Amino acid sequence: MAKKTKPKATRAQSSNHKRASSSAKRPASSQRTYTILDYRLEKPRFELRQVRDGDVVRYEVSGTLNAPVPPIRNSKYLSKPQCIEIYRWMLLNRKMEAALENLYKQGKVVGGVYFGLGQEGCSCASAYALKPDEWLGPMIRNQGSLLVRGFSPRDIMMQYMAKAGSPTQGRDASSHFGDIQERNVVAPISTLGDLIPVLAGVALGARMQGKNIAVMTYIGDGGQSTGVTYEGLNFAAVQDLGLVLFVENNLWGYSTPADMQFRVEDLAERAIAYGIPGVIVDGTDPCQVYDAAHEACERARRGEGPTLIEAKMMRMKGHAIHDAAEYVPKALFEYWKKRDPIARFENYLVNVKKWLTRAENDKLIAEVDAQLETDRDFAVSSPMPEPESAVGRPYCDPSCHQIKPRYATPKVKVGKVSTSRHTEAAVHLK
Amino acid sequence: MPTLTYLEAIRQGIWEEMERDPAVFCIGEDIGIYGGAFKVTDGFIDRFGPERVIDTPIAESAIVGAAFGAALTGMRPIAEFQFMDFIGCAFNQITNMVAKAHYRWGAPAPLVVRGPSGGNVHGGPFHSQNPEMYFVHTPGLKVVCPATAYDAKGLIKASIRDNNPVIFFEHKYLYRRIKEDIPAEDYIVPLGKARIARQGRDLSVITYAAMVHVALETAEQLSKEGIELEVLDLRTLSPLDRQAIAETVRHTNKVLILHEDVRTGGIAGEISAIINEEAFDDLDGPIVRLTALDTPVPFSPPQEEFFLPKVTDVIREARKLRAY
Repeated sequence: MAKKTKPKATRAQSSNHKRASSSAKRPASSQRTYTILDYRLEKPRFELRQVRDGDVVRYEVSGTLNAPVPPIRNSKYLSKPQCIEIYRWMLLNRKMEAALENLYKQGKVVGGVYFGLGQEGCSCASAYALKPDEWLGPMIRNQGSLLVRGFSPRDIMMQYMAKAGSPTQGRDASSHFGDIQERNVVAPISTLGDLIPVLAGVALGARMQGKNIAVMTYIGDGGQSTGVTYEGLNFAAVQDLGLVLFVENNLWGYSTPADMQFRVEDLAERAIAYGIPGVIVDGTDPCQVYDAAHEACERARRGEGPTLIEAKMMRMKGHAIHDAAEYVPKALFEYWKKRDPIARFENYLVNVKKWLTRAENDKLIAEVDAQLETDRDFAVSSPMPEPESAVGRPYCDPSCHQIKPRYATPKVKVGKVSTSRHTEAAVHLK
Repeated sequence: MPTLTYLEAIRQGIWEEMERDPAVFCIGEDIGIYGGAFKVTDGFIDRFGPERVIDTPIAESAIVGAAFGAALTGMRPIAEFQFMDFIGCAFNQITNMVAKAHYRWGAPAPLVVRGPSGGNVHGGPFHSQNPEMYFVHTPGLKVVCPATAYDAKGLIKASIRDNNPVIFFEHKYLYRRIKEDIPAEDYIVPLGKARIARQGRDLSVITYAAMVHVALETAEQLSKEGIELEVLDLRTLSPLDRQAIAETVRHTNKVLILHEDVRTGGIAGEISAIINEEAFDDLDGPIVRLTALDTPVPFSPPQEEFFLPKVTDVIREARKLRAY
């Protein structure tokens, strides 16, 4: 996708697992061309700068902020019921976060609340491309992805309220939870980029067990600045592991604009330097997000390696609930508010495709509201943990987990026992 | 019984576990065709193939992260660090991602991070360190520091079979300097159990790794003066064998704690506190610490010799404590 030519030289294939191969010779550098697949129907161009304004320094935005709102792109793969299902996840995602905001204002949330407002299409449609036995590692704003993977709003609400019945039994907050038994979700940690090598390792483990799977995780325009992002994606690239990395470019890393995080025009360009395909999608268009995710997952399942997908959108709230995002130029909010993923997808389903009647849409919204009310009541009335449960289980013993290969016992191929290749003279620091 | 060096014992331990369990694999830098910087995995790639002996880019966070990810699918990865000095590069993965996983979200992390540590080979500040205490300080990790070839093999096998992340510090000074007869049959040395390396009545030296040999040599010499040292080899720093520490104190009533790690924040401070908690009334003298200096490990041989605790230091301190 990213490249017209496959630069990887032929190499001896390890027969246990399928890896991409190509006998294409790497062309001379002057002849190399690269392309980044771009699914967008509009290409917004704006720039943020720090400018002095009297006694204060503030961010100023310049660029094309009056462009017409693009339509939703028709998906190459999604059926009508699938589109409606994704729409439902997006609604649940947004309305659950609204409920969390209310719970916070009522003093029922411990700590803060992180929002994916404006990013619901990206979270939900990307996770939707994975199969049940594949894996996902969410970041803080991917609460929609957690819903798609099978966690319920009450799980997420109880996490935020630090309840005994939360997925981590009160031991961690927000979207910091996972499940290795059924939902195949790796719990994130607060530092950024660290899930990338971990998800690559999940794909590695599965491959050793004879199965090429797609694994998906996310990183932001801010988080991609970390070293572990490079380490993890490069490792996945070198090993042809089926990692689908969504770079969610939501323009702000806490209060720092993307223009102060990197110099390239599009973060998808980074893919070229990893030797992997790079794709750009409008992160507010769930059909584009799904199509790119689906193609990357299929590539992963073929054993051809990772894909970097840049999803362009905007974080429509502050970093967390405490942050009013007053540093964001208002014009930018206005621009992206017109590109609201849910309003546009609703219009697409109801008015453009006519896949939902108004009555059906109202019914769907009412069902989501009812589910959230039930889950909210359950979460609110559930108990806090006993103080002594802080002891928990830092160590695992055989009584809590049996470790066994998840997919299949790895096939063992052994060679002869070779004689030592080295001489004592080759030993370092004797 | 075959006679193996400390290094060969580790190599054999990993080899046997890979033969026994197809979920065990190795991942690290230069471990394949090259066989590792110290040749611990020499010949592994020919036997087990590149699928199970994985050479990686120079990316320690990726190595540990990938090992953890594979462990989530039920594999048992062994991640080699070329030098344990470089473990700082993967500190976040180890202490935040891996160590907290079981407590936070119930995900076991059955992986081993292993590699050479320790000085006395003139490796300088970045090839001689003893970074074990960063990890002793982190709940959820196990920390292993073998002193003998027998223990090295039994402990690496126990570490591989453990359901928890184990940081396994091999002492590079011992790699080729010590050897002993190792049973041909399968055995493990359980994690969390110290051993009495030498029995004695007059005072206890609590130590681990290469310093066990310094303690034993001291004991040999002092025995000629009629001073009998008891040497307790901790073997595992986390979990720490509190009972064995208390027992040796009750037996000899005097304690000298010896380690190659720097003084401040070294395990000696923790052991002193444990003795206060468990056996204060049994003490007949002050707890003495004998450690490396609070400096980076210096490169030049005379400087490094000055930096490290030596037999003459232990003799001096033991005589003083004995006379107390």
